[in-house]
Amino acid sequence: MGFHIVKRTNCPIWKKIIFYLIAIFSALAIGGIVLSCINVNPFEYYGKMFTLGTVGNKIAYKTFINYFNELVPLTLTAIALSLAFKMKFWNIGGEGQFIIGAISATTVALLLGPKLPTPITIILMCLAAMVFAGLYGLIAAALKVKFGTNETLMTLMLNYIALYLLYFIGETKADWNFFLQTESARPVFESFSDAVAFPAIRMGKFELNISVILTVLIGVLVYVYLKKTKHGYEINVVGDSTGTAKYAGMKVNKIVLRTVFISAALIGLASAFKVGTAGVLSTAITNDVGWTGIIVAWLAQLSTPMIFVVSSLISLLQCGSEVAASTFSRVDSSFANMLQGLILFLVLAADFFIRFSIVRNKKDEKKEAVISEVKTAENELLYDTDDIIVEQTEEEKTEEEKTEEEKGETDNG
Amino acid sequence: MDNQYAIEMRGISKTFGSIQANKDINLNVRQGEILALLGENGSGKTTLMNMLSGIYTPDKGSIYVNGKIAEIRSPEDSKRYGIGMVHQHFKLVDAFSAADNIWMGKEKAGFVLRKKRYAQIEEIASKFGFEIDPKKKVYDMAVSEKQTLEIIKVLYYGANVIVLDEPTAVLTVQEIDKLFNVLRRMKEEGHSIIIITHKLNEVMSISDRVAILRKGEYITTVNTAETSEQELTEWMVGRKVDLNINRTVVEKTRPLLEVRELTIKSDEGSVAIDNVSFYIRGGEILGVAGIAGCGQKELCEAISGLRPISSGKMIHKGDNIVGLSPKAIMEKGIHMSFIPEDRLGMGLAPSMSITDNMLLKKYRNAKGPFVDRAQGRTDAEQVIKELGVVTPSSETPVRRLSGGNVQKVLLGREIKAAPNVLITAYPVRGLDINSSYMIYDILNEQKKSGVGVLFIGEDLDVMIALCDKILVLCHGRVMGVVHAHKTSKEELGLMMTGALDLTDKHEDKPVGIAKDSLMDEQKDAKEVE
Repeated sequence: MGFHIVKRTNCPIWKKIIFYLIAIFSALAIGGIVLSCINVNPFEYYGKMFTLGTVGNKIAYKTFINYFNELVPLTLTAIALSLAFKMKFWNIGGEGQFIIGAISATTVALLLGPKLPTPITIILMCLAAMVFAGLYGLIAAALKVKFGTNETLMTLMLNYIALYLLYFIGETKADWNFFLQTESARPVFESFSDAVAFPAIRMGKFELNISVILTVLIGVLVYVYLKKTKHGYEINVVGDSTGTAKYAGMKVNKIVLRTVFISAALIGLASAFKVGTAGVLSTAITNDVGWTGIIVAWLAQLSTPMIFVVSSLISLLQCGSEVAASTFSRVDSSFANMLQGLILFLVLAADFFIRFSIVRNKKDEKKEAVISEVKTAENELLYDTDDIIVEQTEEEKTEEEKTEEEKGETDNG
Repeated sequence: MDNQYAIEMRGISKTFGSIQANKDINLNVRQGEILALLGENGSGKTTLMNMLSGIYTPDKGSIYVNGKIAEIRSPEDSKRYGIGMVHQHFKLVDAFSAADNIWMGKEKAGFVLRKKRYAQIEEIASKFGFEIDPKKKVYDMAVSEKQTLEIIKVLYYGANVIVLDEPTAVLTVQEIDKLFNVLRRMKEEGHSIIIITHKLNEVMSISDRVAILRKGEYITTVNTAETSEQELTEWMVGRKVDLNINRTVVEKTRPLLEVRELTIKSDEGSVAIDNVSFYIRGGEILGVAGIAGCGQKELCEAISGLRPISSGKMIHKGDNIVGLSPKAIMEKGIHMSFIPEDRLGMGLAPSMSITDNMLLKKYRNAKGPFVDRAQGRTDAEQVIKELGVVTPSSETPVRRLSGGNVQKVLLGREIKAAPNVLITAYPVRGLDINSSYMIYDILNEQKKSGVGVLFIGEDLDVMIALCDKILVLCHGRVMGVVHAHKTSKEELGLMMTGALDLTDKHEDKPVGIAKDSLMDEQKDAKEVE
């Protein structure tokens, strides 16, 4: 009895959702087994985690404020990365760009904050963070355009330069170093929360930070930019085939530079939001959003609305596990990282079932049934621009690889 | 033993997702015969042959080799049963010598490369009358040599049944003759041969029997001697088809595009186009014939501004276009459609919809920062309707269309742009008869409306029938420009291989320079000033 794998032309949306839900629940189940092994009741733990411990909590609004503070930089970073990824520019330098942005914003806050009115300082913080993060991202883009270097390696290495620059600033006590508190003997970052604070809209006890509203606004703008504008069209064409873009008379280098700058600048803006709400720089300022953002962008298949959904869930996971960790001392908050990895892994596995169906050999009636099912699915032709890249890699496989795959499949069966 | 089939395929079915590539196909090949496998694009010929060579396994049905059922699950199995396939795209290692390419696939060859492998390969080559130097590296070989090597490779591993997938697509007329002689000799030795080709004249000349597939279904098998090209076409297409290309004669204008002493370098830095001059008038189709890879691509790229030229002039309606950006050249009305081997590499964004692809060259024209998708959709729907593109909708990504439909979309867009010079390279590459004729009609329409068409083609029969004049290239040099109605395939073939040079035929009139050139006029005008 053998099995073989047949490509689905289209998968109805309800089926997709079911596959993804199965993946997420499987991840939670595996996490649950791990929890049971260390004598923690998984239901209690998950209950605490997904409600963020707000049930029966008097200061629940604080948890929500925290949640949004984590959510904003992650969402914005993922949106920014998706711009570059759409163009098949593998910007994995989100961390570095975020750090440079954070340092720039802090510089403005510390130096100009006491002198200028708050709104102007905030605007200058955002602008400085955007410009310098954008320029930092531009390094890798310019090298790629000019010398054909690999942007993955370049952005990766630039991450470490930025990270160690931040460490250097954070640990060097010297007269010039205005980033550190002067009165403290140990190196501690100077806080500017008294001078500059991002405005928030009060809703009872809850405060909705302006950065949340701005992030939603930017999300809408990026969505329109990608889907409707000429620039967005160019990004899509360049991502699809640079040869075709040149043939159509597009200035590919210019488009690459422009898009990478915008992508990095938005990451800079995310960092300005982050330091602006925190009121202080720290060596862990990024909270790994440069990495997590990549995961979010991919899980959302580069679709802007989906990025909001995915990043809300990932932030829930991270915030929730921090809250749960305070109740369950046995479980470290890095449990969330493991869970996040599991979910990513299984969702990608679910992707396989969305694109292929497994058909049993020899039993012909059953196969016919699957074929007709796929055919009906084809009728409701749903074309999703956002699965382009995932499918593209499939296309790129050479015939030999396909042969091997085919062989592998028959061997398995 | 006479009636025993070397290969018999019974009730073979294969599906890919929702696509039924093969449906209940019966095919048989006798020992010592040449069977031609005929069918339109997407009729499942290659899929069927891939099942024979173990690349795919059939969903249903069985294969018999010499009367016994065969389990072919991998290319190794297929080799063991004595089946060998020569693929359309050669599977050779460029950096290896001919002998090493053959040696590579040998099981139990041991770790040591022995000198005697050269002698062994030479022996098998001479047995079948091949000329090949076993020590020659593949990257030094011409296309025909590579193909010979592929065939020797298959024979070396003791193949009794040889499958050739479109072997003649890349060869010149003379090389095709040579190949056919080899095939006939192999047949005499008792080998069975299955040959896939689109060219009916080749089917008629080489095969003993013809098997026809249509849309994944088996239609019939006929004796070649008892059929005709017309009949084969009808079986293949399923209805009557007019096989004539009408060459209309149209009033010609003064030269639209003039190219003078053009030299272009290839990516590797060698000279791809060497001192080439030609001109195109409105209302004529100028064919460019030449063996694959003798500068056609570089020429197309240079004219459309994608590749810098080393020296020479290019004049469009009296204006210089050398050094202009691709966009500026496009705006002058010069449009290029180049169909590369993979059909998608240049000119289309495969993951994007037909609508978006229609906008590729004119998205800038919309006012404001937004792309005018409504315009694209109207264009897409028009092209779909006028050219009969088979697609679920105008929003389907181009990648999901079959080869012929992709080409229609590309050509449709170029024509929609209302060019005055249309450069089209391999527009019918790999297309079946029906779609090909549709493309020829489109080109003729363009010619009638006064467009100058540069047609870079492969099939000499078609070029002779369609073009007004034919420019022949050999290794980037012009071998002459001939009138299509005065030339023959043989003459063109000789010119393509460089054996015949007609550039000095008329001493008074140099090749490729128009009598009423706008280029000279421009110069004269300057001198008068």
